[in-house]
Amino acid sequence: MTIRTELKHSWIIMIKEFRQLFRKKALLVPLFLFPIIMIVFFGYGMGGTVKNAPILIVNDDTGTASGPLVQEIGSYTPKYGGNPMFSITYTKDMSQSEAESKIDAGLYKAVLLIPHDYSDRVAKNESTTLTLLTDSSDTTTSGIIINFMKQFLAKAGPVSLNIPKIYGDLEYLDFLTPAVIALTIFFGSVATTGSAIAGEKQDGTIVRILMTPVSKRSVILGKTLYQLILQLARAVILIFAAFAIMGFKMNGSWLLVALVLVIFTLGGVGLGIVMSAIADDMESFFQLNMLFTLPSMFVTGVFFPLSSIPDWMRYIAYLLPLTYANNAMRAIMIKGQGLNAISTDLIILSLFALITFTAGVRLFRREA
Amino acid sequence: MEPIIEVRNLTKIFLSRGKKITAVDDVSFDVFNGEIFGMIGPNGAGKSTIFSMLTTLIKPTGGSIKVAGFDVGKEDDRIRPIIGIVPQKLSLYPDLTARENLELMGNLYDVPKPVMEERIDYYLKLVGLETHADRFTGGFSGGMKQRLSVICAVIHDPEIIFWDEPTTGLDPQTRQAIWKLARKFNGEGKTLIFTTHYMEEADKLSDRVAVMNLGKLVALDAPGILKEKSESANLEDVFIRLTGEEVRD
Ligand SMILES: Nc1ncnc2c1ncn2[C@@H]1O[C@H](COP(=O)(O)OP(=O)(O)O)[C@@H](O)[C@H]1O
Ligand SMILES: [Mg+2]
Repeated sequence: MTIRTELKHSWIIMIKEFRQLFRKKALLVPLFLFPIIMIVFFGYGMGGTVKNAPILIVNDDTGTASGPLVQEIGSYTPKYGGNPMFSITYTKDMSQSEAESKIDAGLYKAVLLIPHDYSDRVAKNESTTLTLLTDSSDTTTSGIIINFMKQFLAKAGPVSLNIPKIYGDLEYLDFLTPAVIALTIFFGSVATTGSAIAGEKQDGTIVRILMTPVSKRSVILGKTLYQLILQLARAVILIFAAFAIMGFKMNGSWLLVALVLVIFTLGGVGLGIVMSAIADDMESFFQLNMLFTLPSMFVTGVFFPLSSIPDWMRYIAYLLPLTYANNAMRAIMIKGQGLNAISTDLIILSLFALITFTAGVRLFRREA
Repeated sequence: MEPIIEVRNLTKIFLSRGKKITAVDDVSFDVFNGEIFGMIGPNGAGKSTIFSMLTTLIKPTGGSIKVAGFDVGKEDDRIRPIIGIVPQKLSLYPDLTARENLELMGNLYDVPKPVMEERIDYYLKLVGLETHADRFTGGFSGGMKQRLSVICAVIHDPEIIFWDEPTTGLDPQTRQAIWKLARKFNGEGKTLIFTTHYMEEADKLSDRVAVMNLGKLVALDAPGILKEKSESANLEDVFIRLTGEEVRD
């Protein structure tokens, strides 16, 4: 058979998959809506506002330039809320560790430390760095406060904010969005590929297809093309939704994001084929799927930074491909990093795709 | 008569949970060009397994098969386009319409679009499904599915049709209709191979009947001669005599 014919067959299979997809309304909704809801749900909490959150400002500034800044923070009242956001306590000469212990004791939700040379530097038009400590046990409030401070200080001139530890200097939405995209694409490609094949095995249609002159290669290629288009479309919709609803800003290269997602989708399709080959029907496929994907969801640092989980969990995380996809997606989308920064992640993800795909093609038999 | 299918010493052994199952045991026969070839035998006799091997779906453990002069296993690409298959387990996409199922098959067999559309309309009318063309097959009755499966199998105008238990579980009217179809296709010069549980059906329809039991071919001849040889009034008695009385599952 010529390559042309094989490609034509793949195209036919791909069209068939799309046609079936659009018939399955019950599948379409979670496929596109669920991840958006997830981002809104988690992101909204972070983008909202707080009332009278107790905050300590440690003002070591020897000059007077910090006065108006501090006052403005103290009196800030959000547009649609009657109450000021913060209830502020002022002090000076407190070390960072002492401030941390006050947060741990639950006295404050956050501490803002203003350095002694603040006024000097502002006068010389040099950049200064304020330190913001937040209560990492309350990610919602922390996220809101960090968000607010960042926006607020952006207006105050060359002032940058140092936020130790939490999400490594990321806002929660920034932290969340790239990983939710990776997770969505991965779960989606595994589940839709696997359940479709398991279903086709169950009703005998896949065997029927393989009785025609179509090669196994063409069938797999057709299904893969379908997944690539579907998953990339989901990613674009997600990024757009995060932007439109939450104001998420993409800092890196779209091309690199696409590269990571294509490789990761290939791995997901491969894994879906492998799992559907092991399972005999839909039900056993979904059980197998749960076994693999649930740990991925909680261990790989989608919702919490890897640094916040126990060591033994972290070791499991390093065995799961989603960890590397999260890492790469965050590096590109938030930090705007390039190919160099994600090369290790890309190599591991490519290996994952290669292994699952090879196994999948082998296990995907004509014999049913 | 010239053979269109040549089966020699065909054997298939399945490995199932460490146990060897000899589904087909050293079977040899020819199918002649243009005949209706029936295959009867109790459940598990190996009929479907033979079909799967003849249609290039599974590989034999031993023996050789030629279909239209092409070697199964070496020249599958040449064989698949000229055979049409109605599997025992009907396999239609339930979320595609009748027409879409037909088009999918036509496309996968590279039937040119105008020819395909013409054939689809013709065949849908032939089997009385023209008013159901745009319904999802998930809601079809057993008989409708069987009729649709048949025309799915001939949309590329194959030379040989494999038909695995075409009438099992169908009402008498639908069975009659299926027989008529079989004769029609045969009248157009197509070779037809089918399996069945019904002696009456094998008797009425086939030019020759192969009797299978426990993976072995126990008899092969025209229905009349089979009856004569075993001095039986009907094929049912021939069958029981050849395959024993115990019930298989
Ligand atoms: N894929 C398979 N794996 C293991 N055993 C099989 C498989 N397919 C068929 N068999 C066994 O081979 C024998 C013949 O089955 P089959 O060809 O379906 O018989 P028939 O179609 O005549 O009812 C049966 O014992 C069946 O259980
Ligand atoms: Mg059978």
